[in-house]
Amino acid sequence: MLTVSGLTASYGPVQVLQGIDFTVGDGEIVVILGANGAGKTTTMRAISGTMPRGGTVDFAGHELTKLSPDAIVRLGVAQVPQGRGTFSDLTVHDNLMVGAFTRSSKVTEDLDRWYSVFPRLAERREQKAGSLSGGEQQMLAIARAMMSRPKLLLCDEPSLGLAPIITQDLFARITELNQESGMAVLLVEQNANLALKIAHRAYVLDTGRIVASGTAAELQADETIQAAYLGV
Amino acid sequence: MFANSFELFIQRTVDGLAAGSIYALLALALVVVFRGSGQLNFAQGEMGMFCAFVASTLTLSGLPLWLSILLSMVVGFVMGVGIERVVIRPLEHKNPGGVLVAAIGLFLLINQLAVAVWGVDPRGLASLFPDGEDDFFRLFGAAVRWERVGIFLVMLVLLALLWALFTKTKIGLAMRAVANNQDSSRLVGIRVGWILAIGWGVSGAIGALGAALLAPQAGLSQALMLGPFVFASAAAILGGLDSPLGAVVGGLAIGLIQAYIVGYVNFLGGGMVLSVVFAIILVVLLVRPSGLFGSQRVERV
Amino acid sequence: MAWPKDVRRGSAWHRVGQLVLFGLVALFFIRAGLTWNRSGIGQLTDMLLFATAAVGLNLLVGVTGQISLGHSAFFGLGAYTSAVLVGQYGWTPGWTFPVSIVLCFAVGMVVGLPALRLKGVYLALVSIALATTFTQLLNWDRLAWLTGGPIGIKGLSYLPPSWTPFDGRADLGKWFFWMSLVVFVICTLIASSMIRSRFGRSMVAVRDNETAAAVMGVNLAAVKTLVFGLSAAMAGIAGSIFAMKLTLVEPVVQFFTLFGSIFLLVMVVLGGAGSTWGPLVGAFIFVYVRDWASGVGEGNGVLGLFEGTRIGGLGGIVFGVLLIVIVFVAPFGAVGLLRKARAKVVRVLPRPPALPTVANAQEPQPPTTVVSG
Ligand SMILES: Nc1ncnc2c1ncn2[C@@H]1O[C@H](COP(=O)(O)OP(=O)(O)O)[C@@H](O)[C@H]1O
Ligand SMILES: [Mg+2]
Repeated sequence: MLTVSGLTASYGPVQVLQGIDFTVGDGEIVVILGANGAGKTTTMRAISGTMPRGGTVDFAGHELTKLSPDAIVRLGVAQVPQGRGTFSDLTVHDNLMVGAFTRSSKVTEDLDRWYSVFPRLAERREQKAGSLSGGEQQMLAIARAMMSRPKLLLCDEPSLGLAPIITQDLFARITELNQESGMAVLLVEQNANLALKIAHRAYVLDTGRIVASGTAAELQADETIQAAYLGV
Repeated sequence: MFANSFELFIQRTVDGLAAGSIYALLALALVVVFRGSGQLNFAQGEMGMFCAFVASTLTLSGLPLWLSILLSMVVGFVMGVGIERVVIRPLEHKNPGGVLVAAIGLFLLINQLAVAVWGVDPRGLASLFPDGEDDFFRLFGAAVRWERVGIFLVMLVLLALLWALFTKTKIGLAMRAVANNQDSSRLVGIRVGWILAIGWGVSGAIGALGAALLAPQAGLSQALMLGPFVFASAAAILGGLDSPLGAVVGGLAIGLIQAYIVGYVNFLGGGMVLSVVFAIILVVLLVRPSGLFGSQRVERV
Repeated sequence: MAWPKDVRRGSAWHRVGQLVLFGLVALFFIRAGLTWNRSGIGQLTDMLLFATAAVGLNLLVGVTGQISLGHSAFFGLGAYTSAVLVGQYGWTPGWTFPVSIVLCFAVGMVVGLPALRLKGVYLALVSIALATTFTQLLNWDRLAWLTGGPIGIKGLSYLPPSWTPFDGRADLGKWFFWMSLVVFVICTLIASSMIRSRFGRSMVAVRDNETAAAVMGVNLAAVKTLVFGLSAAMAGIAGSIFAMKLTLVEPVVQFFTLFGSIFLLVMVVLGGAGSTWGPLVGAFIFVYVRDWASGVGEGNGVLGLFEGTRIGGLGGIVFGVLLIVIVFVAPFGAVGLLRKARAKVVRVLPRPPALPTVANAQEPQPPTTVVSG
């Protein structure tokens, strides 16, 4: 579904991604692990087209590095950015509506669906997103991304700033979404333990390079990798 | 002439509201741009003036007035979009101070372009509303001109339309989203650049309408918008630069203040109106740094 | 040997380079002062006075990041202070200059107070208010006993005092030229040494990041008000000299109106906000480009607000387009452009970091932004 090869990205003169390769298969949950500053967010932004990048990113036969962010969303790639990126001045309802910006039919249908999946959001539909709690905002961010009916969901550190129990709940939701609709998920996390529990496969990113990869089970079992990169 | 001071007061109120409607209209145009991009369009007034000349030329060529004004609004829209895409956006990434200087350049350019095209002899633009000698009715003894009523209504209709645009349409939703968070807007598939350009276009069209309403009373010249633009920006900043409602309240308030000062405060005389208005605004801003209705969010500029 | 060559800031070669540049500029002005004809010198003097006011504005806009469109008011206040004292009270012009400076400094501090609470566009608009209000005050008939109202004050003169080498009326142009040059140099030195001082670095901190500056223990309120005051004082002294050179003041003089403010800001941005040479280069471009542009087409003197300006007709169009083009070609001003050209030949490396001692370990670290060069 997604095949990334030789992906590079720089902020000004500083090259952050040194040419990385990885894949996400149909219906897979893949997690990229790495410490703070490893280049995880940069990887996500390079895929979604919100920063200049080099190399190739093939998504279902389309070359994403040649496309603008809106075209990428239209192809079915949605990103939940780090820090959630909700529209704080807009109501919960408007946040979801704007999530469906690229679509014109059956929007209300989806709206009802996500309200029933996340009843907390339904209760707060007329509230400004900025007034929600961290966990609620993360739900909103995911629901908003789902409103574009993505085939691939990019999730950048959803656990950031959340209590472990809320993170667990969130990850359970992501797994459900993946199983119900077969949507592929590319997850980026520092929290290796939790993430490896829901992922099928994983990559480890360190200073802009992929340094390890394997099934989630393999990585969980590999003590050297755990000690060297995952700080466990 | 006036039977009593109450009548006089009503008269001044009506005059103030009429002048204020125009300021409100122009302030709305400023707000539409500011909400989206955090920019102040210093060339706004000149764009409107230019469009009023276009409207005047079109009526002279035989088109009906309403159609001419509508077409001039289209010209305003195109001008706004063009200026945003060609001048403002490329500069914004380079240097924010540069946007200001470029806007000043545009100001001179458009103004002098109008001189080059239409010359300096004063022209006329007919009024959309009856504005003959006796087109007025009496309200508590004060004369209320139909033209003033018309302008007031246009302003209200425009406010309603803008409200509908922002809250009921997809483009409006996108405009609010872009104003709130450009990065996230990109991630939901909004073409941020075009939304900003459309904002400038809408503002250009409103500016054209404002100028067309103003020209019949003020006379159509290249100086048409210089004063009103200063009052309009005062109105926008008083109301809060990102609030359409604030623009209208601010515009009407300034129109009223102006009318009352000229009428009642003999000590100051008409020449000091702007100074008093600004003193009031300063006091308001010291209490509420983003104006009466502006959101207190941290500024991006 | 490969280009660009590396030169370390503060090294002997860097100093030599700076001296040569400085020498060339000095040579230009000295030559002009000695050999140019009367009108040429007159225009150069105007340019220097605008540049001086721009140095003040540059201190504010370039260094604290506050945009002011109100500096015409300080320029005008300086001009009117001198004019009133000379014209109405018979003072010797020279003695009015310190009064101008002090008054503008004080008024600037007062005006700087609301600036503390306002940001960006709001401050810009409020400063527009300042400029407009000032013009209205000049026209106000209740103040006419002092300001002369719409008529202004005429018949001012400032002949060179006997201790100067200038020969009375014949050397009037040169007298104003050298006086303006000296004042400009002093203001530039003050401004640039302020930018380099610890105080100046804290100003840059204010511009780059208010929270960071607050954490560094910079008293933001004090810094901003003080800068506003200084900035106003520099515009004021330029205005004082300008009035004496013009021999009159009246409300329609362009640099006393909002247009003056706008033009000063244009100079600062054109030159390169925040750089030492910026105001001079900006004023130079502005004065001479405008002059050239106004020669392109016949002036029409159209608008009330344009009265007294030479911009009109085709010239205005050319000038407007040029402003836009210059901003495009040189986003960081002409000085930025020159620096980029220089970078092809020599590369200036930052000073080697000083070894931290107990004393300067407590000092805030200089921000990485390069302000001047
Ligand atoms: N906007 C930026 N400008 C410059 N450097 C950046 C920017 N964002 C991130 N970086 C740098 O890029 C590197 C990777 O950052 P990031 O992708 O955010 O890491 P992660 O998400 O893994 O924590 C870091 O060294 C960071 O300092
Ligand atoms: Mg990150």
